[in-house]
Amino acid sequence: MSVERIPLMAHLVAGYPDASGCRAAARGLVEGGATYLEVQIPFSDPSADGPTIRDACSSALEKGSSVKESLALVADLHATYPEIPVFVMTYASLVFAPGIVTFVDAAAKAGAAGLIVPDLPFDADEGLAQACVAASEKIPGAICSIPVAAPSMKPIRLAAMIALGRPYIYAALRAGITGAATEINADTKMFLSAVNKGGSKIFGGFGIRSGAQARAVAPYVHAVVAGSVFVETVSAVVLAQSPESKTASARSLQIRNEAIRRAVYKKAKEIIAG
Amino acid sequence: MPTSDKIMARRSDKGYFGPYGGRYVPEVLRSAIEEIEEAFFEEIADPSFNAELERIRSEFIGRPTPLLYASNASKLLGGADLYIKMEGLAHTGAHKINNAVGQALLAKRMGKRRIIAETGAGQHGVATAAACAKLGIECVVYMGAIDVDRQQPNVATMELFGAKVVPVYSGSKTLKDAINEAFRDWAESFSNTFYLIGSALGPSPYPDMVRVFQSVIGRETKAQLAERGVTPEVLVACVGGGSNAIGFFEPFLDDETPRLVGVEAGGIGQGKGEHASRMTGNGARTGIVHGYKSRFLLDDDGQVAETHSISAGLDYPGIGPELASLGRSGRIEFRRATDTEALEALTFLAKTEGVVFALESAHAASAALSLARSLQPEKAVVVNMSGRGDKDLFITAPLLRPKEWKDFLERELVAMNVSQGAKK
Repeated sequence: MSVERIPLMAHLVAGYPDASGCRAAARGLVEGGATYLEVQIPFSDPSADGPTIRDACSSALEKGSSVKESLALVADLHATYPEIPVFVMTYASLVFAPGIVTFVDAAAKAGAAGLIVPDLPFDADEGLAQACVAASEKIPGAICSIPVAAPSMKPIRLAAMIALGRPYIYAALRAGITGAATEINADTKMFLSAVNKGGSKIFGGFGIRSGAQARAVAPYVHAVVAGSVFVETVSAVVLAQSPESKTASARSLQIRNEAIRRAVYKKAKEIIAG
Repeated sequence: MPTSDKIMARRSDKGYFGPYGGRYVPEVLRSAIEEIEEAFFEEIADPSFNAELERIRSEFIGRPTPLLYASNASKLLGGADLYIKMEGLAHTGAHKINNAVGQALLAKRMGKRRIIAETGAGQHGVATAAACAKLGIECVVYMGAIDVDRQQPNVATMELFGAKVVPVYSGSKTLKDAINEAFRDWAESFSNTFYLIGSALGPSPYPDMVRVFQSVIGRETKAQLAERGVTPEVLVACVGGGSNAIGFFEPFLDDETPRLVGVEAGGIGQGKGEHASRMTGNGARTGIVHGYKSRFLLDDDGQVAETHSISAGLDYPGIGPELASLGRSGRIEFRRATDTEALEALTFLAKTEGVVFALESAHAASAALSLARSLQPEKAVVVNMSGRGDKDLFITAPLLRPKEWKDFLERELVAMNVSQGAKK
């Protein structure tokens, strides 16, 4: 398995650590071999996220990151890396506030390939999936709504989700929040086999931090998702900056961004190598 | 009374109250919530659950709480008769205990060993900690770091009851962030842990559940008024999340009278971040936050906005979905009271009636006073004093007698340093 590269959906928080740093991270992820990018639009109350992503979101918001800027980033990534589908993850409040259709149209226009909104359940999604279908008809390229499955779901509910026949399902590999390491055990594999039954392509993630974990999950999924580990990698670079270099002169920003790109690149390679 | 709990158990239609409510949670939490829903509707139909709840209500909470005829205030106002439901005399000082013991008992009967809760000012945390101590359940309370700093007396009380208080440093470091943190804990711990939500909000069935456990306030009030032959013209309650209001109004919701008035925090003004008015003014919009759809204070992107109120219990950016729906239908009228108006009502009723309202309830008192003034004698206005004001001493004293309070605190600090120095 080690020679074959593991398909990876790599996650980043829009506007973290800032606009240019975020783009540098994306570049590192793509150069490191990510197959897909998942861009999280920061929300003030990200209750499904662990400390790493939670703090990255609030840091981005403190710097004034907006939904508009986040979608501009998506559009930019889409234009820069046309071969890499970009998915958008965020929370119901941001999707619902402008109106579901408005939000979906804006995301589709930015080139987003899909939307992951964990607190909009597939059977009460406020018209999200429908808006995606409608947007795909208006705007070239397809945007879809990606439901999130969890191991704690009752079999009947999981069956209903699978029966939707969506292009993708995001499988959260364990209970809890993003970040902490996940043990890939027999239960995980059984869950993934169950999710796989419907023929949707599976993104499997939550707590994937190492090549070994990715390798264990890979046979059961279309792509492995890793998120917090990359956000942490970015944070580590930001924290390691000396206070003088934080003055954000063009030169020091360039040095920091290069460090972010390199660190993220290395981490992505590591995970993809399995 | 247990029978009426049963009759009014579910007012929502599959979790919705008109356009609001629902269960907007990640899939990981759904089965845990369904488990609670199932257990809740089963238990409240069970006579042994109700008998135990009734026993705790009378022995532990001290129910029924009195209904006070505010004779002096009524005379001075020169209008309608004012009555005060003295809910603040309930154990731990507020109505919060009604819901805390109800849900804690449910958790115990479900076999959950651990309870988590969020708290803002700390009243719900204190009530939950007390209920857990009494029922022998481990208790963890999430509380925004800013609230921990400004509500030390409540933190000390919770710890005295054996609860673990976890300060939350994320986001705005207040109630909404404590809720997020409780959800994070629960997403991992639901197999042995019960999340005890303190207000009539959150994903279904919490709004139904909290209303059922709080409706004891309204039932007692209705009976106490009937005993005295009083037909109320209007009922008034303050509305943060809205648990005291919905509990107080519950037995009257299906009747055309009395008028029901909910009072929100008007704060220091009508600008952004200066108040917490979701049903009055035009600062709020429909949104989905914390697992339910309702009226929220959000910015244009949908980010949860900052709020302000002198009372920590009224500054939550959302409102319970059933209240939002009843506001929309017109059954409940909403008003607002500013920080200053609340403080004025608090002082007036303290002087005339010997009763200190909690700052939250003082917002209701402010509206009740002006309603009583404007109505004819023979009519009756009933206000729910959802909490008593002892807990607010550290907020009211610096405002009402700044110099003396500052001197007092300085003397206390000196005395503490001296005694600690002596120990060393």
